[in-house]
Amino acid sequence: MKKKIIFFLLINLIFIAESKSEKPILFVGATTHVGNGNVIANSIVSMHNGKFEIIGDASTVRIDPSAFDTIFKVYDKHIYPSFILPNTTLGLTEISAVRATRDYKEVGKFNPHVRTLIAYNTDSKIPKTILNNGIMIAQVTPRGGTISGKSSIMHLDGHNWEDAQLKADDGIHLNWPKSFYSTGWWAEPGKIKINETYKERIEEINHLFDKAWAYSNSTDNSIDIKLESMLGLFDGSTTLFIHSNKANDMRDAIKFAKKYSIKKTVLVGAEDALKIINILKKENISLILKRVHRLPITQDRHIDEPYSQAKKLHNEGVLFCLSYEGDMEAMGSRNLPFTAGTTVAYGQEYEDAVMSISLNTAKILGIDHMVGSIEKGKDATFFISSGDALDVKSNNVERVFIRGKEIDLLDHQKKLYYEYKK
Amino acid sequence: MKLIIPFLFLIFNFNTLLCQETFPINGVKDNFNPIYAFTNAHIFISPEKQIKNGTLIIHNDKIISVDSNLIVPKNAIVYDLQGDHIYPSFIDLYSNYGIVKTNLKSQNDNIPQYRSNKKGAYHWNQAIHPETQASHLFSNNQKEAEKYINIGFGSVLTHYQDGIMRGSGAFVLLSENNHTNIISDFAASFYSFKKGSSKQKYPTSLMGSIALIKQVMLDAEWYEKQKKQTNLSYISYNLQNKLPKIFEISDVLDYSRVFSIADEFEIDFLIKGNGKEYSRMHEVKGSTFPIIIPLNFPKAYDVSNPESTEWISLNQLKEWELAPYNPAFLSDNNIKFCFTSSDLEDKNDFLKNLKKTIDKGLNKSDALASLTTIPASLINMSNKLGTLESGKIANFIITSSDIFEDGVIYENWINGKKHIVNKKEKYDISGYYTFKSKKINNSKVIIKGQQKNVKISINNLDSANLTGKISGDNFNFSLPNGHFRANGDIINNDTIIGFYQDENGNIFDFLLSKDSVLKADNNKKDSDTTTNKIIQSNIPEVWLPNKSNGFRSLPIAQPVLFKNATVWTNEKQGIINNTDVIIDKGKIVAVGTLLNPLEYITNEKVKIIDASNLHLTCGIIDEHSHIAISKGVNEASQAVTAEVSIGDVINPNDHNIYRQLAGGVVAAQLLHGSANPIGGRSAIVKLRWGASAEEMKISDAKGFIKFALGENVKQSNWGDFENIRFPQTRMGVEQVFYDAFFRAKEYEKKWQDYNKLNLIEKRKTVAPREDIELNVLVEILNSERFITCHSYVQSEINMLMHVADSMGFKINTFTHILEGYKIAEKMKKHGVGGSTFSDWWAYKFEVNDAIPYNASLLNEAGIVTAINSDDAEMGRRLNQEAAKAIKYGGTSEEDAWKMITLNPAKLLYLDDKMGSIKIGKDADIVLWSDNPLSVYSKVVQTYVDGKLMYDENVDVQNRKRDLKERMRIIKLMSKDKNQNKIKPTAPAEEKLYHCCKKR
Repeated sequence: MKKKIIFFLLINLIFIAESKSEKPILFVGATTHVGNGNVIANSIVSMHNGKFEIIGDASTVRIDPSAFDTIFKVYDKHIYPSFILPNTTLGLTEISAVRATRDYKEVGKFNPHVRTLIAYNTDSKIPKTILNNGIMIAQVTPRGGTISGKSSIMHLDGHNWEDAQLKADDGIHLNWPKSFYSTGWWAEPGKIKINETYKERIEEINHLFDKAWAYSNSTDNSIDIKLESMLGLFDGSTTLFIHSNKANDMRDAIKFAKKYSIKKTVLVGAEDALKIINILKKENISLILKRVHRLPITQDRHIDEPYSQAKKLHNEGVLFCLSYEGDMEAMGSRNLPFTAGTTVAYGQEYEDAVMSISLNTAKILGIDHMVGSIEKGKDATFFISSGDALDVKSNNVERVFIRGKEIDLLDHQKKLYYEYKK
Repeated sequence: MKLIIPFLFLIFNFNTLLCQETFPINGVKDNFNPIYAFTNAHIFISPEKQIKNGTLIIHNDKIISVDSNLIVPKNAIVYDLQGDHIYPSFIDLYSNYGIVKTNLKSQNDNIPQYRSNKKGAYHWNQAIHPETQASHLFSNNQKEAEKYINIGFGSVLTHYQDGIMRGSGAFVLLSENNHTNIISDFAASFYSFKKGSSKQKYPTSLMGSIALIKQVMLDAEWYEKQKKQTNLSYISYNLQNKLPKIFEISDVLDYSRVFSIADEFEIDFLIKGNGKEYSRMHEVKGSTFPIIIPLNFPKAYDVSNPESTEWISLNQLKEWELAPYNPAFLSDNNIKFCFTSSDLEDKNDFLKNLKKTIDKGLNKSDALASLTTIPASLINMSNKLGTLESGKIANFIITSSDIFEDGVIYENWINGKKHIVNKKEKYDISGYYTFKSKKINNSKVIIKGQQKNVKISINNLDSANLTGKISGDNFNFSLPNGHFRANGDIINNDTIIGFYQDENGNIFDFLLSKDSVLKADNNKKDSDTTTNKIIQSNIPEVWLPNKSNGFRSLPIAQPVLFKNATVWTNEKQGIINNTDVIIDKGKIVAVGTLLNPLEYITNEKVKIIDASNLHLTCGIIDEHSHIAISKGVNEASQAVTAEVSIGDVINPNDHNIYRQLAGGVVAAQLLHGSANPIGGRSAIVKLRWGASAEEMKISDAKGFIKFALGENVKQSNWGDFENIRFPQTRMGVEQVFYDAFFRAKEYEKKWQDYNKLNLIEKRKTVAPREDIELNVLVEILNSERFITCHSYVQSEINMLMHVADSMGFKINTFTHILEGYKIAEKMKKHGVGGSTFSDWWAYKFEVNDAIPYNASLLNEAGIVTAINSDDAEMGRRLNQEAAKAIKYGGTSEEDAWKMITLNPAKLLYLDDKMGSIKIGKDADIVLWSDNPLSVYSKVVQTYVDGKLMYDENVDVQNRKRDLKERMRIIKLMSKDKNQNKIKPTAPAEEKLYHCCKKR
């Protein structure tokens, strides 16, 4: 295991060298998973000034070695674009049982004005462990209330939140009311009841959006901090992420978004998306799916329902991406690539599965012009794995680059490992 | 009929009959009670004996005689029943009639209550109150009594329905007089698993209730012999020894739980069931205990909306369909039962549901017995009630016809006193009439219908029908537009006289006289109680378990030859290609190449499975699981709860069993949670889908117990009010262990000393009190029980090994053991194994230093290392979790695979039978589509003991089968005419338990 340590030291040296390079850097021979559904078996990938330049097949594209500062031979290895983790509390929580370290849930029903951006903890020990499995970008998302607040899209590296940000305040998160609620507790679960206040709660949301719409058209100069923060929903600069899972509730949510002419709406969770496929297509709604590694929604649903949902949605042509929302969400999100792997076991094409955690996610978050695939002009935010990154046993992230800069992969856990390995 | 009318008088509030003799009289003496004779009746003397044209004579509160051809005494008041039926009044053994509740006040609900709020020399636990006597809490409540009387009951066994040991019940008549209606003030004792109104912490779980009951029973025995203390609860408990004992259960799985208590303490119980006995008949049949069953059949769901209908589980649909069959099934299985009206939301549904059970095949005489003779005999009241024999209490009902068909109860006589339920005087006025009056004369009239719904057409009046209703002898009818409004008195079935007002306000009198009757088919059906109604031709199937993916019939172990598989042996051969494996009679009988099955098995019908391109492994064993557990994984109350046992609360109906079989899991240790330093005992089970709780247990598995350390046991994350219980720090945790084991040693010594005594000395000495908790700790000291300890940080792990070393026991397994890598050498020295998570961390302060390299580091240090789930979802894909040892720590594929198979088998002492592909081991086989450690791999088949428990093709077929069954019942349900259908609701999100995160 000593070897590995030396290897990591090497990376650190490279990191320093690379950041001073004048000429492009070239990677030759890897299998490059572009992120858009394509794969290049024996590829060349070059980057310069933090952006991808040449992407191609090594057997057909001719290159001049002297044009590159460094050429890395990465035969038998895999290059992937950064996987993107949407809808996560990563960076807002350190130890979920310790209240002082929980920064994702503000008090109150409607908090469109609170922003995760400034609470994102670049010194958290967790993000680097996530980075180590191939995820460099996360949509850091608030929780709680009816409107939780605004998410921001962050790089999992940086000295402060300004360094780390990729897109600030990308969306507002609305937790759609549930038409059912449960009673009792886990040892003695009570009956499920119809939520009598469901309509009332929707009415509250309508009321807020009525006001926001009126405010957006108002010439009054006084500032309402809540309504001000919602203006982007009407001009398309802010995406509305509606969190909902049951078919009936999702339909109501879509109707609602339509009523207020929200420019960009994304459904988050969408456990029963296949039941509302027609309206999803008609209204062109994209989805951030609940964690693939979950139990079926009822005892009667097919045991593989959560696993095969991706393939079925793909067949229907709905744009979706995978997330890791749920229990143990922040620290567990390093398993996102493996959940994509599971969808492959249940019918999804491999490159489509890659796309469901890279380019699709970028499109849904509105950052696909910058990241999400290995294409010319996009940020050189990617990683090299010695093996298939979607399979647990072969995922081995050796090098990570964010906007062309190589990142040190030594995390808290590796440090302990090396210390006690001796 | 008319004969009755003169004798009608209001009985209610008439307290003169059977006056209490000791009471002073106000006014003049008024206690003359006439003899009553009921003639021309169809009398059901008992379920076996009926007379068709009989007479029943009663005097005071007793039956004098009953027979055909009786001579009626001259001074008797005679009721000619004209063929009406007489049955003994029904008896309900499960009731809280007339009981005034006496809940103890509790303090601030937020503050945990560890002691009983009941002051005095009573049991330490508030849910244990055998001293409660229903007769002391009882006073008659006529409004409540009428609910019973109206459905035919004459007497009930009532008790205080609260708590675990509920005290004694009183057998009472439903009559008014408080002094004559208690037949027995000490008729039975009552038990349940439900804590009820007690806010005392203990017990928080079903297994805690079970342990508490057992300990009380032991203590009560011990109490008899000791002389040091007085405890009114034990005195009362022991006084109840000879009473019938009635145990209320709320889940069919509780049957075997009650049976195990009954076996251990040699007690016979009557069981108050929940009406779902059909779903586990095999287990319900496990004893000869009679059952009291409710008739609260599930209501139909509103299935009009296909989307919400999907929320109804197939299990709920099947329960709706099967519930009315329950009594017939019990009867077919020769289980003695009686009915109770308890659990019904509306007691008026009782007779309706009773009739349904007859439709579904219950014999009428069995039904009658279940309402009369059986309940009477179960509480030793056969000499007083249950039949209509002379000398018995005059409790009987008079009905229009067969009560099990469309008979209506007219009267319910209780203790010789009449209670009118439905007035008998029904007029049948339908027919052709002539209407005579000043204005409209000699008009032809047709009257149709009965009671509240009568239609009249009068020639010359209007083309529209008039509508009318009969109440008593009053007949009111009018035109819908109000132009004709009439009110008449029914003189008899042929004549009606009255007045009407026309549209102009003129009032005329009229006479309606019948010319001829309508051709109606209101012939009374000839009822016969001895013949069954035709049973529906399609008796619905009960699946095992009775839900989606349940078996129609349980699989059997067949011989199978797996050809050409890649076999992961977990033995010296390692992973070998192109290998055949043969299983037979639940065991692996051959492993090799090109095997000829005939050399290994006698049965020629060997199933051959082409396993080329497939991987064959032994099944996964989950060392740490919390699936398949009923009502509480934690006894989250006291710091030491070794007395509780998961083995008492296995839930074989949990669908996670099937889901995990589909993930290749064949066995699991079902662990108690981590709420206390010394938790409860585990159950080690195989995932035998469809079997009973008892059958799921691996019969000769070693005993295990859960210990726990750290934040959970010191209640760090339980909320701000949970700061009372010792320990609140790691310092305290250590002392809990020392204290427990010092107590255990002392206890063992006491028993050893006692057991050394000779017989004579023993007779003179009070035996030590038997303590279940300490018994278990002594087992640990004697290496008869093994510890799986929930653990995180190295300091406490180190501490517990020190405690164990100094007290002379061993820790078998540290589970979670997330900082095990820091003290692997010490662990190795102690000889303890580790069962860890692959990659969980950062959810609590104590898991800050958890690393995904832990499993590999422990393994490399030579510690037997397993990877477990502790989570129902992760349990479905433990193969992926094992693969993380490859990814993070560079462990070899073979070693990683052993972490979820052979190594947990070793930790659980199952490796002589499980954990590898070796001749003679159990045929727990999984076929995989790919390398089992890959995320791309899917389970093709899972065998447990050679029985095919999961098959991906069968799963696909079952989807169709389940859907077909669902649609069949939905069709039936949509035909159901019940107005109050239940709106389907989405099921609860499954509350997953894992002990690592919270308690």
